Amino acid sequence: MQRKTTGAISALVISSALSFHAFADTTPEDAKDYRSAVMTSLRGHIGAASMIARGLVENDGHLVDHAKGLDAGAKELSRVFPKGSNVGETEALPLIWEEPEAFAEAVEKLQDATAAFVVAAESGDGEAISAAFRNVGMGCRGCHDRYRVSD
Amino acid sequence: MSAWVAGDVTTAIVYPTRLRNLLKAATLLAAFSMLPQAALSQDDIVERGRYLTYAGGCISCHTEDVDDAVPLTGGRAMETPFGTFYSPNITPDRQTGIGAWSDEDFVNALHDGISPDGEHYFPSFPFTSYTGASREDMLAIKAYLFSLPPVSKESRDHDLAWYMSSRIAAGAWKALNFESARFVPNPDQDEQWNRGAYLVRHLGHCGECHSPRSTTGVIDADLEMAGSVLGDEKIPNITSHRTDGIGRWSASDIEYFLDIGMLPDGDFTGSSMVDVIEDNTSKLTREDRLAIAAYIKALPALESEED
Repeated sequence: MQRKTTGAISALVISSALSFHAFADTTPEDAKDYRSAVMTSLRGHIGAASMIARGLVENDGHLVDHAKGLDAGAKELSRVFPKGSNVGETEALPLIWEEPEAFAEAVEKLQDATAAFVVAAESGDGEAISAAFRNVGMGCRGCHDRYRVSD
Repeated sequence: MSAWVAGDVTTAIVYPTRLRNLLKAATLLAAFSMLPQAALSQDDIVERGRYLTYAGGCISCHTEDVDDAVPLTGGRAMETPFGTFYSPNITPDRQTGIGAWSDEDFVNALHDGISPDGEHYFPSFPFTSYTGASREDMLAIKAYLFSLPPVSKESRDHDLAWYMSSRIAAGAWKALNFESARFVPNPDQDEQWNRGAYLVRHLGHCGECHSPRSTTGVIDADLEMAGSVLGDEKIPNITSHRTDGIGRWSASDIEYFLDIGMLPDGDFTGSSMVDVIEDNTSKLTREDRLAIAAYIKALPALESEED
């Protein structure tokens, strides 16, 4: 029930025009660039976390930091696709704004996965970390398949 | 046996650390593949066939691209400059699938591109790669396919340009461009590279998408794995070229990409490679993915063709 409610709220946010409670003069370009910056931060955390999950770098506690960064960034995704930000060089497909509820649901899947990844990272259990990280990847792919321009 | 079985690969990201253990495992794996088939029970052969069916990428092409598709019942469209090919049903249904095929029929199809009726297949079916696979592996795949429930589903006819509408065209193409030959390990390379070569060039048929083709559909041998265009999708250069290809990727990066789809920069691919990862490479053992990575990393650096 709660999930449904948040989904509806997310969908509402996505379909409303420039929902940032930022400065009055946030332009559609700014909104698009901000989204792109958030995505870049997600990529950075994922790249770093994967090296720890793969055992290439020792897990001396930093995995939790990356997991929390990922989780925070994933939560932001609910508000970085305001209507009207489909401008300039963006990889976001118009379908995002044509089916906001389905999109919000896909974003929520990622958010569930990143929240679970924080729990796994805190547990320090290698297998749980691997499985949770894999689910984060599925969450990313879940949107990139349908809602992002393919090369 | 367990080294062959995909079994628990989903949790296999917890890696053993020492390279020499990996090499040892790869050697054992290679040694295993030399065992005569008579040493295996029918169950073992079916299980091995299941693994090889993943490694051969059979499922992604022989399953329609819709949510509720029954695996291996065919119907996936493959758009090419020559028209649209539709993959056939390869479940063991006797009427609409391959249930009536003998071992020889199956091996002829995969090694030589010839149907049980003696017709030539178009090279949209990658017999040009499978020709290098061992007879034992091919028959294990058949044993697995025949262990599955038969599904009655008529295969759809290809929708081809007029000059391709006859199987004679396929025969002519083969006479010019195809030689039936099994894989021979390169003694100058180690076991891991050879296993990778077998998986990449033959079973996994990576070059069928990743290599450019001439106007008659022949793979350009000078640009093997240097990328291509399929429909409206750009297929990347996977040679060791540092800017055009994936020369900056480590073996671990390649192995991990084939396991979960993550690019080294933390991005996740949304390309048609997703199906290949899901139905093929993620189901392999980590040792086999590392063998693929070792082979790919050793590919000579090639520049991509001009667009």
